[in-house]
Amino acid sequence: MLASILASGLAVGAIYALIGITYNTMFATSRVMSFTAGQLGMLGGVFGSLFMLRLGWPPVIGLLASLGACALIGVVTEIVAVRPVLKSLEQHLYVLSTLALALMIQQVTAIEWSTEPQPFPKLFGIGSGVFDEKFWLPLVACGLTIAGLELLYRKTLVGRAFLAVAEDNFAARALGLPERNLRIASYALAGAIGGLAGFAGGQLLLAFFANGPLLNFYGFVPVALGGLGNNRGAVIGGLALGVFQQAANFLVGGIFSSVAVFVLFIVVLLAAPQGLFGAPAARRV
Amino acid sequence: MIISRRRFTKAAMGASMVGLARPAIAQTEPIKIGWLAALTGPSSAPGVGFNRGVIFATESINGAGGVKGRKVELITRDTQGDPTKAVNATQEMISQARVHAIWGPTNSGESLAVTPIMARAKMPNIHPCVVDSLIDVQKFPNAFRIAPSNTQWDDAVRNYCLAILKLKKVAVIGDTTGYGVSAVKASVAGFKNDGAEVVYQANIDATQPDLTPDLLRARNAGAEAIVIWSVSTGMEARMMNTRAAMGWDVPFVGHPSLSSGEIGSLIDKPANWDKVYAVGYRSCSYGADGKLQGRNQELVERLAGKVNLSDTLLWWVACGIDAVELVAKAVETRGSSSSEAITGYWNSLSKYNGYFGDYSYSPTQHNGYPTADVVMSAASSAKNGAFALAPGYSGGR
Repeated sequence: MLASILASGLAVGAIYALIGITYNTMFATSRVMSFTAGQLGMLGGVFGSLFMLRLGWPPVIGLLASLGACALIGVVTEIVAVRPVLKSLEQHLYVLSTLALALMIQQVTAIEWSTEPQPFPKLFGIGSGVFDEKFWLPLVACGLTIAGLELLYRKTLVGRAFLAVAEDNFAARALGLPERNLRIASYALAGAIGGLAGFAGGQLLLAFFANGPLLNFYGFVPVALGGLGNNRGAVIGGLALGVFQQAANFLVGGIFSSVAVFVLFIVVLLAAPQGLFGAPAARRV
Repeated sequence: MIISRRRFTKAAMGASMVGLARPAIAQTEPIKIGWLAALTGPSSAPGVGFNRGVIFATESINGAGGVKGRKVELITRDTQGDPTKAVNATQEMISQARVHAIWGPTNSGESLAVTPIMARAKMPNIHPCVVDSLIDVQKFPNAFRIAPSNTQWDDAVRNYCLAILKLKKVAVIGDTTGYGVSAVKASVAGFKNDGAEVVYQANIDATQPDLTPDLLRARNAGAEAIVIWSVSTGMEARMMNTRAAMGWDVPFVGHPSLSSGEIGSLIDKPANWDKVYAVGYRSCSYGADGKLQGRNQELVERLAGKVNLSDTLLWWVACGIDAVELVAKAVETRGSSSSEAITGYWNSLSKYNGYFGDYSYSPTQHNGYPTADVVMSAASSAKNGAFALAPGYSGGR
């Protein structure tokens, strides 16, 4: 039982963590919590199934095409739902605009794809039981994403520019950084990360239009637990959430496990409102 | 304009002349059947299947000269499964298109919204929706059910577990939708009433990726059969895969969606679909010889090349044919397409021999489908939209 809890919990937790990173990446350059994050995860699975099963493309091409398509959806999110409301961030209109776009994505997927879950192909056929690839693939994807983001932010000029805009976009603009282009790039990157979450978790979650709201909710929890903007916190929060949720599934059953998860979530936020790994916002003056 | 007594009298005479001409028009005007169909969008699969039967029946009747010279005219509106659209379409059918009877809607959510509207307009309505409260001869005297109710499905599943499989300990599992929760409650109550032991009951979110915890609990509780009430094929396929991974051969018995073609693409291997029994119908089940009962075997042969049965269910098509024919027969028998004539005819039916079933209605009973004809099918045995009977039924069919 313990092996099953760990295998399934860590796998689902890694998917939640990747969606948390998607939230963070979009938030960093725009200060907007975009509720399309979960839908990008859903689309990763749907595009993967579409390209590889229906169109018969090889897995590598299918992966690249899925990430590209999700990156494009990320850019569309920025243009359609984020840019128009940036001037009045304090009114939190982005909640409505991003939720509306998320709903549109979900409905179009339901109509054009299917309302029933569709299969997602095996990619490597390696492992069985608790070592089945559907359990370790999301963990590998999560590890690679974190490593890639660390490299991007620490070793590249573009990454440093992202950090600069995230830190203070007025100052970054004053220094001549192309804030809008960087924001579009960060949404494309977020789209690709969300897509990777869905692609890596496709065998576990299937290509199902209703996965979007699930990922939206459970992907948001690691962000809040780990601290807004803190990717390492999101990974730890996501994995902990997945294992806790799966343990609750075993101990108290499906419906009550959701209750258990959100009770824990509220308790943590009461104890540490800035998240377990976040620091209170401070600004040097 | 000043209305004089003379003008008024002339106008009144004119109006009465128009009135006198009406019976002649009624003899030739088409029989208008409103067809509320979810043809696109989510949950459109049944609507598409029903529609094939509806079109086939209409073309057959009109091809044979109609009903006493009157053609059948379909007024089809795609509701997309949306109750709001169904309400709008119903009002349009009643007040503008002035249909003689309405067939549909085909899902309970829409039907709950439109049934009271039809009752106010005294519109003859026949539908295949399963929610029990949709049939109430006091509130909705014009509404008739052509398919089984939820209770009849429940009875069939319980009968199969207790009387045919001779099992006494069951686990009842549903999804977390309103339907799943209410169906599990009703099913558990039914099993307990019949003296069975419900060792485990649960409602599971249809998107839950790993169902090992629930099946482990059911096995540890001693379940001899798992009764499933869900329309989520993803959840059902995961349960089948998990059952196989656990090396457990417990039978799954329940909702018709267990036999959905979607399951075939979601299970890890075909054997995972064995020992799964879904609600089915005797009229659309084939026996050991691979053939349907006489009348329906002929129907399938008639449909060959005209109506595609490979991606739908035979009972949807057969039910669509029966619905149109029930309206046509009412007009033919009573010689009128008035509301009273149609509902009066339906209320007088006893074992009307349809393709989907032998319907019986009376002024006090508008659930017309015979419970004995609701049976369990081997879920993985689909052929031309029909299924093999689950093991244990006598007579092979």
